[in-house]
Amino acid sequence: MCFLLRRLGHAAFLLLGVSVLAFAFSTLAPGNYFDEMRLNPQISAERLSALRADYQVDRPMAVRYGRWAVALLHGDLGFSFAYNTPVAPLLWTRARNTLLLTGTATALVWMLALPLGVWSAERRGRPADVALSWATAVLLIVPDLALALGLLVLAVRSGWLPTGGMVSVGFDGFSTGKKIRDVALHLVLPVTVLVASALPVLLRHVRAAVAEALEASFLRAAEGHGISRRRSLYRYALPAAAHPLIALFGFSLGTLLSGSLLVEVVMSWPGLGPFLLEAILARDLYVVIGGVLLSTLFLVAGNFAADLLLYWADPRIREEAPER
Amino acid sequence: MSTRSRLIVCAAVLGALHLAVACAGFFAPYDPAAQDREHPYAPPMRLHFVDARGGIHLRPFAYAQELRAGSFDEYEENRARAIPVRFFVSGAPYRVLGVLPLRLHLFGADAPVYLLGTDGYGRDLLSRVLFGGQVSLLAGLIGAGLTLSIGLCIGAAAGFWGGWKDEVLMRVAELFLALPWIYLLFAMRAFLPLAVQPVKAFLLVVVVIGAVGWARPARMVRGIVLSAKERNFVRAARGFGASGGYLLRRHILPETGSVVLTQAAVLVPQFVLAEMTLSFLGLGVPEPVPSWGNLLASLQHYNVLVSYWWMYLPALAMVPFFLGYLVLASLLQGSSRATKIEEAPAGV
Amino acid sequence: MEPMIRVENLVKRYAGRGLGRRAAAFTAVDSVSFSILPGSTLALVGESGSGKSSVGLCLACLERLTSGQIWFDGHDVATLAERELRAVRPRLQMVFQDPATSLNPRWTVREIVAEPLLVQGRVANRERGVHAAQVLERVRLGAEYLERRPAELSGGQRQRVAIARALILEPKLLILDEVLSALDCSIQAQIANLLVELQRALGLAYLFITHDLKMAAHLADEIAVMSRGKIVEQGAAEEILRDARHAEMQNLLGATLVEREVIAVVRER
Repeated sequence: MCFLLRRLGHAAFLLLGVSVLAFAFSTLAPGNYFDEMRLNPQISAERLSALRADYQVDRPMAVRYGRWAVALLHGDLGFSFAYNTPVAPLLWTRARNTLLLTGTATALVWMLALPLGVWSAERRGRPADVALSWATAVLLIVPDLALALGLLVLAVRSGWLPTGGMVSVGFDGFSTGKKIRDVALHLVLPVTVLVASALPVLLRHVRAAVAEALEASFLRAAEGHGISRRRSLYRYALPAAAHPLIALFGFSLGTLLSGSLLVEVVMSWPGLGPFLLEAILARDLYVVIGGVLLSTLFLVAGNFAADLLLYWADPRIREEAPER
Repeated sequence: MSTRSRLIVCAAVLGALHLAVACAGFFAPYDPAAQDREHPYAPPMRLHFVDARGGIHLRPFAYAQELRAGSFDEYEENRARAIPVRFFVSGAPYRVLGVLPLRLHLFGADAPVYLLGTDGYGRDLLSRVLFGGQVSLLAGLIGAGLTLSIGLCIGAAAGFWGGWKDEVLMRVAELFLALPWIYLLFAMRAFLPLAVQPVKAFLLVVVVIGAVGWARPARMVRGIVLSAKERNFVRAARGFGASGGYLLRRHILPETGSVVLTQAAVLVPQFVLAEMTLSFLGLGVPEPVPSWGNLLASLQHYNVLVSYWWMYLPALAMVPFFLGYLVLASLLQGSSRATKIEEAPAGV
Repeated sequence: MEPMIRVENLVKRYAGRGLGRRAAAFTAVDSVSFSILPGSTLALVGESGSGKSSVGLCLACLERLTSGQIWFDGHDVATLAERELRAVRPRLQMVFQDPATSLNPRWTVREIVAEPLLVQGRVANRERGVHAAQVLERVRLGAEYLERRPAELSGGQRQRVAIARALILEPKLLILDEVLSALDCSIQAQIANLLVELQRALGLAYLFITHDLKMAAHLADEIAVMSRGKIVEQGAAEEILRDARHAEMQNLLGATLVEREVIAVVRER
């Protein structure tokens, strides 16, 4: 219990620290942000002075941070200059789209990596495993930018798959079944890229962890007892290999919001990535901070979830603070 | 082959690749900024050794490409005009390492020969890829150097001092690790002026990339310093009255050598990729200076994607380097008997 | 005779570590006092965990005392700042247990042995090599060992190198922390004899830390037995070995040798 509380405190500390950092970046940046905004024809002079008063640009940073933090706790992430609406709902719709994409990809990657990893760890050093290593190495050396663009070029020239976006024109008029099919088709390309870029690394880790667990002597004892290979593999080896894998899983969860930025931009997927990019280029301050904070929240939450899982799965951690 | 000789071969190959890019001026037939308005979006020209009549030539040649009559982006080969390719010709001036002016090129011809095609302004893609490599690789190398320097200093300080200074430094490192890397990159880039001249932009990119990734190397260095500090030969040196600086310099930091080297091999390709990403999205090195990233930027336009497939080729330029660094990193890790694979899973 | 070094009420407590005090604070050395005469050997005997190594580290000024005094050369070295200590250190040197870890594996023997001279900054580079060769001779290693690395040496040879390194600054007191424990039995005898020889030739005082009572009996003039941070028996070697009263002694005796052998060893001296 103490362990969990400590991890929770740690996570809270991280979020606090990140919020300070994010805020500091924006306020310490060279050049007065509002002066740059003056050059933007979309923002009228009255709006500008109203915003200046509102955001108390001339007050000390600590005051501004305090005000912003309090607003944050109320769920108010500030105001988007480009869209003229509060930031939070904007972020939320985009985040949902991103999660659809990355959630699918993450599930797929793990569903592929676990069995493949176990399979190749079993056959370590043998031709099948070596072939798999080579195949994944090929995937590893192609940068995801190249992969994404390459698939896009293929899709464009073959015409089989839609080449961007999340939905086709006229989506609202589709029946539910057709809607699902439409989104699914649009998902194929970006999910493929995400899976292809994440699979090699994950596969390596799974394979290494399982291989190490397979070396353990208690497994040989199990064999000696006549327990079948398959059973010993899944019931004994995998749980022993679980510790590093759970940490990795937490990391996977953590990068749900941030890992797909590039793919989303290239494939025009209407997620958090392109939205943030747009905000950066438009100097939409509070959108950027809000976006960074949201994805950090996921990262921290993902690690905390991993800690939770570890606590539940690994008795050694529960025993960590012995009473002497 | 022993690990050591494999390491040498790998380093040699990688070095040769870097050398080729460093001498971009020599290997590239044209100036990367030279525009050819008569050949915009020209497809790659093929080299032949056998002509239309079946005659074999020792010297490779290409057929001139001209716009098809009535079209503005379709080319056809003019079999009547063969352009022989000559080697070691004098061409557009360039400077080796920015200092030595030369005019010698590996190959060239009297009329335009575009082996990888041209872009919208008629600029030779092959030359742009080679020169772009200079920018991207340099960004990766300098960025990695910066990150490792910062990481080494902070990690060594934290490990050596211990106590509350160590705690504080490691908490800050955790903060940086908690931030999603790519968002941090973008956020940092965002809050710096957007439209700057190429050189300034390059430096900005390098500094931003370098300042983002120091936390992981710092933690690794700290671990090594912590354990090295307790080694008896360090204690013995303290016993003769050695100062902290001496201990760090002569005993402790040499222990970090292999880790730093391995990290370098892991980080450089990641940072080159970071520069490519930033430039691709318009946040990095701007036109007209080529970088592997901004060479791909035009692919964001649908018509380019559909019609001009050769514009995709710069994306593959990175692959041999990636491969080289990957092999180097795993060889280094193997030789230092490190068992963990310390790469950050880039996405999902 | 004036003692070379006098320790009074030495206490060493290690603070708890970790935010939640996960590793509890504990007292390694609980008020220990002794003194060593010039040219003589005091053996500090005890099981692992008895605090004897901590005493050695404190004496060598490699750990700060929690409280107590160490009188050496007219100063209380426990209170000296690092700068002042630097002048004192050459006279107080330590040799560690495992030469595999106390010698930097990347350095040559010459660099290792000459390092104290380099650190103290007194001798020029060229001469350092000469001094190194001289001190190697003392430990019965020829000049051909100068350019070798620790990995090329045997355990006994490495320990000789460690001793040579400790001797190069011409100390008056050597703290020997389990220097024989990591060696094979036959080599132990060799090194032990070397130590005796060096003591006679150079007039060194030794603090000989060990868990091996037999070795202590062989080398020591005085023995102090430590148990759980305190000295439980102290006195001339023969008396201690004969009287073997305290439980701890019984422990060590039972573990290492039979009473008759003890008496035989004592008579031998």
